Amino acid sequence: MSAESGLVAGSRPAVTAPPELSGWAGAATAIHAIQQMTTPMVLNLDIEGHAITIDFAYNAFAGDLPLADLPAYPRTVLVETRTQDLDAAPEIELPGRSLDSLLWLIGYHAFGDEPAPWLVEGHRYRLRRWPSLGELSLSLDQVRMTAMLGNAFATSAELAAAAHTPPADARRLVNGFSTVGILRRSAGAPPLVEAVPDAGEPHPATGLFSRLREKWGR
Amino acid sequence: MEHIILFAGPMGAGKTTAIRTLSDIPVVATEASNSDRAAADKATTTVALDYGEIGVSDEEKVRLYGIPGQRRFDFMWRILRDRAEGMLLLIHNDAPDPLGSMREFLIEFGDLCDRGGVAVGVTRTDVRPGLIVTDYTDFLEQERPDLMAPVMAVDPRDRGNMELLLMSLIANIEMRALYREVPA
Repeated sequence: MSAESGLVAGSRPAVTAPPELSGWAGAATAIHAIQQMTTPMVLNLDIEGHAITIDFAYNAFAGDLPLADLPAYPRTVLVETRTQDLDAAPEIELPGRSLDSLLWLIGYHAFGDEPAPWLVEGHRYRLRRWPSLGELSLSLDQVRMTAMLGNAFATSAELAAAAHTPPADARRLVNGFSTVGILRRSAGAPPLVEAVPDAGEPHPATGLFSRLREKWGR
Repeated sequence: MEHIILFAGPMGAGKTTAIRTLSDIPVVATEASNSDRAAADKATTTVALDYGEIGVSDEEKVRLYGIPGQRRFDFMWRILRDRAEGMLLLIHNDAPDPLGSMREFLIEFGDLCDRGGVAVGVTRTDVRPGLIVTDYTDFLEQERPDLMAPVMAVDPRDRGNMELLLMSLIANIEMRALYREVPA
């Protein structure tokens, strides 16, 4: 390991990344590609001199900065990937740090207000599990959108409309969860439709969540 | 209008503390000496119910019931679970078998789970760092892929943590009802 950067020693060619892979975008794209693979992979990131190592076999990472100190829009992120043997020792000291928070940060900021390039327009997405909620610092609008995605397939446009949030906010949320690797995709799911409340029941969208939110000033 | 939220989980998970953190009123706690110090190293344990309230408005309350964690009091669980809208399941990370304990409570409160009315708070993650929150979410995904429960690490003394956990539970319940006709 290089003492200077913490990255695996070895030469690294100078690369000028195309705009679509600048900042966090290259890292997010590499992460998405790794998540489609069955081979254990390690990803090393150099974020303006700060190193992060992700060992996907152990769903954990190590880095020299708190996540809160990482730039939301770094100028350069150098990305290096390596395959691992199935019985290789972990690249980081376990248990490491939970990946949800890092992958969320990367995915949320990687593509600005645009959808991640691997997301297919017209496809609908749904959570296969909730994210590790306390690590993501979600707003209550985002919590509500998360709950929607936990219970129905939706495009980001449908999600934004249902949650009464700007479409870009919903796209970023979907980008983030997709990078965390917790979305299921469906090309054939029906449009997002709200159920009609039973007679006498209040509409859930104006229910206790909204009133508690108002009480607590959140 | 009233809403009933249960606080469930094994002894020592922090249920009484969590209710105290959220309640607008002093918590009514029913305790006795803890005769099972091996299970939880605390002097007392809840033997009936803990009760707290969140006053949403003059006409609306959220009633918070903490049910005792020991199985010998499980008759109390049955009294309330049919009336409850949701449950915050607190599991302490340093329990002998936290994932097994979570499974046990999810089975016991299966009807609530089916309604989307469960959120899991993992306490004492700083005491036993071996398991992380995604171990719980991965376990849930394998055991109950239909459940889709919010899971987060919480300090039951931290109001911000407990508000977020409760809000995630309520959001999940409401969205489940809003989109209940959509199959997984």
